[in-house]
Amino acid sequence: MKKILPPEELARDSRFVRLSMEDRFSDRRSPGGGGSTSGRTGPTKLTPDAPQAPDRARALMHGIFVGEIQALEGAGRTCWDFEVGPHFDEVPFALKLDMARQCWDEARHCEISIKLSEWMGTELGEFAESTFLYEAACNPDPVLRLTGVNRALEGLAIDVFNTMREFGQSAGDPVLEFCEDWMLADEVTHVKMGSDWLRRITEKDPDRRERALEFQRVVDKLFSLGGFRGEDDDSPIRLARKFREMAGFTHEEVDEISDLSKQARAEGEARLAQANAS
Amino acid sequence: MAKVVVTPETFAFVSFDANHIVELTGKIADKVGLPADTEIRIEIDETTPLGRTKLLSLDPITLAVEGGSFEDAKRPRQLSDTSVIDVVGRLLFRAKDRLDAGFAAAPDDDALTLQQHTAWDTYAVGRCDRAGWAPQKKRRLYHFRNRHGFTDVADAAFDRLWNADGLTWADLEAACAETEAARVPAG
Amino acid sequence: MADSKKPRPAFAPWDRRELPGMFDVEETARRVGHYKWVEMRLFEALGGWVATVPELDVKLRLGTHCYKHAWHADLWNKRLPELREMNTERLTVPPNDEFVTFMDAITEPEGPDQTLEKLVGVYRVLIPHKIAAYTYHLNNTSTITDAPTMRSLRFVLNDEFEDWRDGEMLIQSLITDEADVQRAATHQARCEGLIVKAGGIAGPGSIGSTDVAVPEEVTA
Repeated sequence: MKKILPPEELARDSRFVRLSMEDRFSDRRSPGGGGSTSGRTGPTKLTPDAPQAPDRARALMHGIFVGEIQALEGAGRTCWDFEVGPHFDEVPFALKLDMARQCWDEARHCEISIKLSEWMGTELGEFAESTFLYEAACNPDPVLRLTGVNRALEGLAIDVFNTMREFGQSAGDPVLEFCEDWMLADEVTHVKMGSDWLRRITEKDPDRRERALEFQRVVDKLFSLGGFRGEDDDSPIRLARKFREMAGFTHEEVDEISDLSKQARAEGEARLAQANAS
Repeated sequence: MAKVVVTPETFAFVSFDANHIVELTGKIADKVGLPADTEIRIEIDETTPLGRTKLLSLDPITLAVEGGSFEDAKRPRQLSDTSVIDVVGRLLFRAKDRLDAGFAAAPDDDALTLQQHTAWDTYAVGRCDRAGWAPQKKRRLYHFRNRHGFTDVADAAFDRLWNADGLTWADLEAACAETEAARVPAG
Repeated sequence: MADSKKPRPAFAPWDRRELPGMFDVEETARRVGHYKWVEMRLFEALGGWVATVPELDVKLRLGTHCYKHAWHADLWNKRLPELREMNTERLTVPPNDEFVTFMDAITEPEGPDQTLEKLVGVYRVLIPHKIAAYTYHLNNTSTITDAPTMRSLRFVLNDEFEDWRDGEMLIQSLITDEADVQRAATHQARCEGLIVKAGGIAGPGSIGSTDVAVPEEVTA
């Protein structure tokens, strides 16, 4: 079995259809692509009384489900791709054990998501799948991989699960709230793993730590998605400050993500304004 | 078969075929039970991937749909017959209801509460099911629970609306009142 | 109530544990090192395979089992220093080259159309051999001196039995015609042949010896 499995080789059954980057970026309907922007005000908060709320929640949860599959695959590949050892492209034994533990957690998250999909009336594979999460898990530097996946993406998962838990709570959906609550607990553990390993492995290598944190910033900004995640009242996904700090983020690091999200939002709004003006 | 007009006739942002939508809509209108000379207009905003839909008027029956609502969720920009049937079937059943005296008291669509809207959709989509279009029943049940509460009373009301025929606006209002009374405040 | 000062036997009448065992500390450490090596190779392969398997139920089972074998590796890793092996890496080795060849064959299937081979190698060959070697160890070690290893063996065996059953049921659900039967059998035979050459997961003597000393025939 080869090391580093490219995203296009991820194995899926016939229910799943992959959305390529080309598909995504060639869609002229996105802001700035010439499509209509009337009635669009940028991302809006997902609240139970929003007209499309149940379908938006279903689509988001399906995205989370395929994200869980990819997180499982990514953690599994980290078990396989790196040997135990002290060298640059090797990892400590205990790190591999953590990744195996994450495999089990992500497998459970898939199981939870499948049951939740059934509850929400969503068919598996109903929506197209993007492989961006797994792509971050292909970094050949294990530290960058862990930082990108466990701190940036699993950190986003903390924000998403917390937001959806609150959504379930206010919608009175006991199943959604229950599932999100449990998955949130695991994500805090995964982010903490990422924070701990980043600190330990790069203890004597500040350059590598900075590269890893820069990679995290890139991923964090990418996943702020034009203001999709932030601390504003109307942010669709709220930055879960308390849980992030439990997971090893410093106050300043959360501030930084918040700033990145604001930047991403401002850029998104500028694109929208430009599209409206043209 | 109903006289159907789809605008635009050709699409630049999506790969939709207007003639195919016309053909599908004609068949749907027949199954819904609209008179053969009914005029139906479908105005598609192809420039947005969003999925809002609306019954704009009854004479002629005019549906306004955003492109995303006719799209295949797995294949962006591709037309999905299932999506077209899902949207057009539901809206044409609502149009048919509005043309009936039993719905004379129904407020305009814009004035419907989310609960009324969802109850009406349930009644319409249940009939789509019996027309053989196999809509996503569990998805509709989830919508209904979100609007009417996660309660046994709401589930029973859903089943009743889904399986019903010949309801009036008063029946839908009664179902809404019933679920409202059983609703436990969230929190 | 009984008199608390009255002497009682240190081993209660129902406690039949005995001192003698088949393995001394060195031999136990050797075996535990091999166990750790094989558990590591197994959890790594299961983790790597998750992404290559299209069947959703198999994918999720592999992810779950991956952790269990990693946990076994950790148990053995923690046991090694208790067996006077402070450099745990020194004994984290395969029993012989033949066993490496066997593990290479087990982890060789990669394509999305090779789920059957992946499962057969692990659940019809490797795990049954692990169950056999672990059971042999459990039944033959000193019940007093090696109690910590026995405790771990019991935890590990419980997982192995459960995982073997999961894997076997997945295999049975994937085998739907004669061609599948042949595919499974061919791969099983190949892997079985290789592990026989290796002598088992701990090398020759993994499950003891069944040779019986027969007295030489006395001739007049």
